[in-house]
Amino acid sequence: MRESTIMKIHYGTALAAVVLVAVHVLFRVTMMNYEDSLAYENVLANYKYLPYAIMLELILVLLSVHGFNGLRVILLELKQGRSYEKAVTYGCIAGMAGLIAYGSRTILMASMGIT
Amino acid sequence: MKRNENREGIKGMANPGRYGIERFAYWLMRITGLGLLAYFIGHIYETSNIVNGKTAWENMLSMTQTTEGHVLLTLVIGMCVFHTANGIRVMLGHGGYGVGKPARPDYPYTPASQNNMHKLCIYASIGLAALAMMYGMSVLFGE
Repeated sequence: MRESTIMKIHYGTALAAVVLVAVHVLFRVTMMNYEDSLAYENVLANYKYLPYAIMLELILVLLSVHGFNGLRVILLELKQGRSYEKAVTYGCIAGMAGLIAYGSRTILMASMGIT
Repeated sequence: MKRNENREGIKGMANPGRYGIERFAYWLMRITGLGLLAYFIGHIYETSNIVNGKTAWENMLSMTQTTEGHVLLTLVIGMCVFHTANGIRVMLGHGGYGVGKPARPDYPYTPASQNNMHKLCIYASIGLAALAMMYGMSVLFGE
């Protein structure tokens, strides 16, 4: 993929994540007080509310893509080389996929009530 | 002079005093990005405890809902706000906004892109991050 396309994805994921993370944080501080919003029953109820669960999944994907691409950019700024660049790129893709898989497992299990 | 004598390595590159606030923002952007990625991974692991039942969730909360945990969360709020505000500045700059018009390079060769507007935006990002941290502290520690 062209680097210009990757940067457009990087910026797109950033802007989308800003909006969704703001909603996620507002859920913690506006619906009830912060302490109560972290109670087991309330957090589980959040996961079981489908639009919220979908939003969490979107945040997970957006931030994983943005975060691991950011890490790739930082590592490529520090050092260059054919095999190094390949290792960094594939390593970041693997990290991103692993994090998305692990986070999706939590969202799926909690939203389906498998606890 | 030998080539190695003038080599400061990463220390020279990181020195914010020599290159101004733009270099400071460059480093802060990367440091906050790495910090936020580390927090994000930790947050995914922390919240995964919800599937292990109420006791596991409350055990995890008792570890994170402490004074140290709240201080860490306050830092995360600051990193998040700075990274967002400065990121928007960088995006606008990459899109050609606020970087000045192309012109013939004349002495003293002041780069049009490093203008006061961008400097002001960097200071504003730091200010916003500080305000968000103060609000975060008031929520986390109680008003």
